[in-house]
Amino acid sequence: MTDLDLSRVWLVDPASGREGPGELVVVEGILDTVTWLEAGEAEGVDAMGVVVTPGFVDLHAHLRQPGNEDAETIATGLAAAAHGGFTTVCAMPNTTPALDEPGVLAAIRGAAGASGSPVELLAYGAVTVGRAGETLAALGELADAGVAGFSDDGAPVRSAAILRNALAYAGATGLPIVDHPEDATQTDGGEAHDGFIATVLGLRGWPAAAEETAVARDLAILAEVARDVPDARLHLTHVSTAGALELVRRGKAAGLPVTCDVTPHHLALTDEWIAGARRFAWDAGTDGDPWRDDAIVAAPYATSLRVNPPLRTPADALACLVALADGTADAIATDHAPHAEVDKAVEFGLAANGIPGIETALGLALLAVDAGRLTLARAIEALTTAPAGLVGRQRGFVEGAPADLVVFDRSDRWTVTAEELRSKGKHSPLLGMELPGRVLLTIAGGRVAHEAPALVAV
Amino acid sequence: MTDVLDGPADAGELIVPSVDVGPEGQPVGWRHRHLLDVDELSVDDIDLVMRTADAMREVLARPIAKVPALRGRNVTILFYEASTRTRVSFEVAAKNLSADVVNVAAATSSVTKGESLVDTVRTLEALGAQMLVMRHGVSGAPYLAAEVFGGSVLNGGDGWHAHPTQALLDLYTMRSRLGSVAGRKVVILGDVLHSRVARSNIWTLTAAGADLWLCGPTTLLRGFETWARHGVGGTRSFHVTSSVDEALRDADVVMALRIQRERMASGLLPSLREYAARYGLTAERLATAKPDALVMHPGPMNEGVEIAADVAAGTQSVITDQVTNGVAIRMALLYLLAGAAK
Repeated sequence: MTDLDLSRVWLVDPASGREGPGELVVVEGILDTVTWLEAGEAEGVDAMGVVVTPGFVDLHAHLRQPGNEDAETIATGLAAAAHGGFTTVCAMPNTTPALDEPGVLAAIRGAAGASGSPVELLAYGAVTVGRAGETLAALGELADAGVAGFSDDGAPVRSAAILRNALAYAGATGLPIVDHPEDATQTDGGEAHDGFIATVLGLRGWPAAAEETAVARDLAILAEVARDVPDARLHLTHVSTAGALELVRRGKAAGLPVTCDVTPHHLALTDEWIAGARRFAWDAGTDGDPWRDDAIVAAPYATSLRVNPPLRTPADALACLVALADGTADAIATDHAPHAEVDKAVEFGLAANGIPGIETALGLALLAVDAGRLTLARAIEALTTAPAGLVGRQRGFVEGAPADLVVFDRSDRWTVTAEELRSKGKHSPLLGMELPGRVLLTIAGGRVAHEAPALVAV
Repeated sequence: MTDVLDGPADAGELIVPSVDVGPEGQPVGWRHRHLLDVDELSVDDIDLVMRTADAMREVLARPIAKVPALRGRNVTILFYEASTRTRVSFEVAAKNLSADVVNVAAATSSVTKGESLVDTVRTLEALGAQMLVMRHGVSGAPYLAAEVFGGSVLNGGDGWHAHPTQALLDLYTMRSRLGSVAGRKVVILGDVLHSRVARSNIWTLTAAGADLWLCGPTTLLRGFETWARHGVGGTRSFHVTSSVDEALRDADVVMALRIQRERMASGLLPSLREYAARYGLTAERLATAKPDALVMHPGPMNEGVEIAADVAAGTQSVITDQVTNGVAIRMALLYLLAGAAK
């Protein structure tokens, strides 16, 4: 079993709201002692070095098994998760077959067990049979079998009438409907955010309004359903526009049982990247123009940047950061979406949507912290306790419980390369770039899930 | 390049008169291996293309319009979309330069069996392609080809994005008639949204100092107001209007764009009849432009829809000049890229 003695590290524990220098001892996989040090006792220990936090929880990942094992398997997906610091992963049900009945869940759990990974795999069930949007899936049976919630992700719950019924029916199970907000009538053929960049590049526009009308629809339905079904819950995933976040903000203020997440790529990357810029949202400014600013440093149309929802404007990305900071956005979820190379090595408009982001989420979040857009404590909360609470899990340093934590070094920058990535999806738009915060160690349920090679050598 | 300039020609003496030849034998100042978009061309680059095209016009005026500049070089023309004038124009241009020309129509190739663009390009290179002229329906496709192709890629039109040779031949045609386009009011009229011709012309015409106006129904101008507000590269600006009267008033050049029937199905226009009535370039509308205003069209035309037949064939029309100049411009670009790729 795992033994660990970490002294003079920076501890961040969102559960208790504490952050500071300390020591942490794990004995035989159990968190034995956590000691918080006084400032005078820990000279030279600060938040810029080795940081220890509870293990991360990803509310949104595509592990592709069953049905598309060329893109990812549960084993490679969980290895990638551990490399990214995640100890719980919620898999989306858009597999082949879709997870719309308990048999598929059993198969996924079998694959997770066979992988030997200690990372906890949770799964959402589909809202509708085959994710076809027509008839409700076996929500009750799926709840009994232990799904984390329900989602037709990859697509929205198309029919408003079905969504209404799903929210009400799932409410009785205590589980959330996780909706992908998109009005497909506005995004048919869409290639890039409908804005200046898409116009110049001749890409079919994907309007912000397509997301905002979907969010408005969902919230209006939720408001009515929640009157009769107090336990109805709606979680909006990968919210990406300033307008959609404002709608969620107002919904929360009105007391609606709604939560949402934002992805690391939507808070750091922007549609400028498709034109060949490689600057982060906070460096672009809200009136950025990559041509005027001489910011184009790469070839345009990189398919690694094709994603649903599309990368938005710098103003939208900054709104994602504000929403995270003020709690409108509850969590950071990766929408890890690996694809086989053949589905990305094609023309931009023909490429599959998706960014494999579970291994680079921490790095992008830390860049936002470095840029002063987010506190370290809030970034960690949005990766740990906040998402955990949404799927009935807990995170925190609890003495006597199996250790579940991640150790990373903020001063240790690593280069994103195909070899470094454990995911089968090598099409990260960050390839070749340096990110802060190499993950040194991930411990899930008392067992080592990931260990940096350098650490093994020591 | 010196050797081909000095070497014996199939058709008399080869001279490309006004093309400067640098110490390395390369055309002075040309540094591009590919021509993917016009946004990468400087004002000097554009001037060099124009001067080289002048030289090519002289070649075209000879009894036998053929020089050996590209002798032994393989130019492969890969078109994923139907095209007559651009494809034939490139083919004639390459043959006038004595290149070996291979034509691949995607409709009759392995593309219909599901071969990817990357595999197709690699296969063509293995078969000897040194310069690849491509037309593709998806914006950005030539960038993917350029990533895997060892030679030069010339974009013959990609999706809604760019049609560099068309924009350059349009500018060349305007300059031939007007001298300079600086300060001249140039109107692009029609389906701007779906037009790679309009997008490429925005870059070249604003760089040349034209007073550029885009005009059409608001549904077909979507996004261009924002682009106009941004400007082009931060300094050059243009106008966008749905008022055809405002656009055409005192114009020096009016370029009509093709309206495609599919646009009605997607709800962008009520009918072709309504479009023709409100935006068609008729003699009456043209009369509000300057008396000697040039009439242009990138083709193919729907006469009676975006342009009246009598206007297309009228004395102000330079549409056939555009076609002839297209060959000269494409010869110039093949020549310049061949030099840069050496």
